[in-house]
Amino acid sequence: MSAPILELVGLKKSYGSQEVLRGVELRVRPAELVCVIGPSGSGKSTMLRCCNRLEEPSAGQVVLDGQDITRPDTDINRVRQSVGMVFQHFNLYPHLSALENVTLALRRVQKKDRAQAEAIARDALTQVGLGHKADAFPAQLSGGQQQRVGIARAIALKPKVMLFDEPTSALDPELVDEVLRVMRALREGGMTMLVVTHEMAFAHAVADRVVFMDGGVVAEQGTPAEVFENPREARTRSFIGRYMDAKSASPA
Amino acid sequence: MDSIIENFFNLEIYRQVLPYLLNGLWMTIWLSVIVIPLGAVAGLLLALGQTQSGSRWVRWTVIAFVDFFRAFPPLVLLIFLYFGLPFLGGDVPKLAAVVVAFVLNNASYFCEVFRAGIQAVHKGQMEAARSTGLNRMQALRYVILPQAVRNVMPDLLGNCIEVVKLTTIASVVGMPELLRAARDTQSLVYNPSPIVLAALLYLVMLWPLTRVLASLEKRRTGMAGH
Amino acid sequence: MNEANSGFLFTFFNPAVAAQYWQEIARGMVVTVGVGAATVVTGVAAGLVLALARATGRASLRLPIVLFSDITRSLPPLVIIILLYFGLPALGMPLSSFASTWLSLSLVLAAYAQESIWAGLSSLPKGQMEAARSTGLGWWQAMRWVLLPQALRRAVPPLTNRVIATTKNTALGSVVALSEILSTAQASAAVAGNPTPLTVGAFLYLLVFLPLVFVARTLEHRSFNGN
Repeated sequence: MSAPILELVGLKKSYGSQEVLRGVELRVRPAELVCVIGPSGSGKSTMLRCCNRLEEPSAGQVVLDGQDITRPDTDINRVRQSVGMVFQHFNLYPHLSALENVTLALRRVQKKDRAQAEAIARDALTQVGLGHKADAFPAQLSGGQQQRVGIARAIALKPKVMLFDEPTSALDPELVDEVLRVMRALREGGMTMLVVTHEMAFAHAVADRVVFMDGGVVAEQGTPAEVFENPREARTRSFIGRYMDAKSASPA
Repeated sequence: MDSIIENFFNLEIYRQVLPYLLNGLWMTIWLSVIVIPLGAVAGLLLALGQTQSGSRWVRWTVIAFVDFFRAFPPLVLLIFLYFGLPFLGGDVPKLAAVVVAFVLNNASYFCEVFRAGIQAVHKGQMEAARSTGLNRMQALRYVILPQAVRNVMPDLLGNCIEVVKLTTIASVVGMPELLRAARDTQSLVYNPSPIVLAALLYLVMLWPLTRVLASLEKRRTGMAGH
Repeated sequence: MNEANSGFLFTFFNPAVAAQYWQEIARGMVVTVGVGAATVVTGVAAGLVLALARATGRASLRLPIVLFSDITRSLPPLVIIILLYFGLPALGMPLSSFASTWLSLSLVLAAYAQESIWAGLSSLPKGQMEAARSTGLGWWQAMRWVLLPQALRRAVPPLTNRVIATTKNTALGSVVALSEILSTAQASAAVAGNPTPLTVGAFLYLLVFLPLVFVARTLEHRSFNGN
């Protein structure tokens, strides 16, 4: 059992009197793909965003590769180079080309020179299948292509862990597959991935572990087989019920 | 009809006063070139203070400053600085009083424009930038501000046009800009033609800019379709 | 240090001088408010009429309106005031300082109001007029009940700012001998040999305009969040 690369210990988050996270415990091992599912309001996205402190936890710790990054003396900008994030709404910089979107952090944060940065960026774009679109602007790209650029932007920094916040929720159905394919390829390359998603089929087929969140805590977790086919909790069962019914109704 | 030409479009008088007016025009341009960058930079700093500061006091101070100078007529401000300050002793150089009054007035308008631009940038942009390790300053410089400025380009240009129009106020304290030159020559020739000529010069300078402004605005509302 | 402080206060905030002259300056305030209010009424009304005329689509109306709007917005207001005050007498139509100031500022406000309202109308989807006409409403009715209410709501933020800017320009009337706040304050300060009347005048300006600025900020906030 290898040591976890990402660990959430007693993570709590409140907005005023509203408690969104009530003590989340989670361990992600290196090269693991963990999918987080659950109803809206369960705190999935909030939990994910605490992992790179885009949300500040009210209590608890986030430990990345042995380092407690919730400590106030953490150099958070440095930490964020090791944690890649892909957003539901892509958040590409509209005034920069795809290539420039990827090179920005390489040049300004990692201080690489232009030639180096572009080489790395082109490599990342090729990895997601968009090497030929390096000079296109976000407005000229489809949703699926934009999201893939978003992924390239994150992997170019060579992070240890990748966080995906509902990466396909904002995509038209026919564009979802291209993004999932890139994510599968990343996983095969050995990337550690924590994915909040509604794509049950993806979680079922590809994840190493599935985490079901409800009411601000981890209600249940296990292998996809365990969670999807043999859930222990009633609420898990009711949540995935609709997916499993649809699955059994249509040919696999 | 004849009297209109005689009194407003008197070519002989135009020829006489044009050199004086051109000197005044030069001063008008000079004043504008000094005030616009100062006002813009000050306005940008104020807008950053208002939108980025975590401290409530900083935000409210900026808002108070901006509202104060939006409520204060610039001519009154200029008179105050120019005639009032000498009572405290010491000489107030004319140019200094004019520039300070204009910058104080103009910075608040620039602040409002930049603020609107910054707030129109989607929240996700800052998050994306920070998530790749850029610090706040870098995120502002490379991601937020370029988009903010693009958002409000028409308003920025509009504000620059306003500064040029504002320079006429300096004529009241005897600053030798275009309107002052027109009024001085008018009282010499007993004919309003110099003022009409000055108006024509302002038109030549500002009308094209107003047209550019209109087309920038059209492009912006075109984009706002989504 | 104390000397200089009391010197500043004594110079700019002299209670005796203030007491002596404040009434005179307050009379100037009545003029400021009067010219301002008159300007707003005529300026906005004229702007509305011009925008509607432009909306009819007829080139014979559109071209002169655009010309007027461009020229008026490209001229400094003070130049327009001086042109009217010193120029019109040569045509045998002398205008008082009140009239020159009011007319000039109204023309300027009308031009800007026309632009803002026109922009509001143009930004409405074409389907609005089509839907209204398809239910049998006439052109004017469609404007009155469907298009203008929406357009005016969109025009409010730029319009309030422009109204404030224009009414502040009533101070320019002092240049053509209008007895509003600034000129009465200046005159009193000259007689008193003390700038306190200027401070009184400044205070009165803030009294008039700060509320307008707050209203503008609130309206802008509401439309920003409402949309």
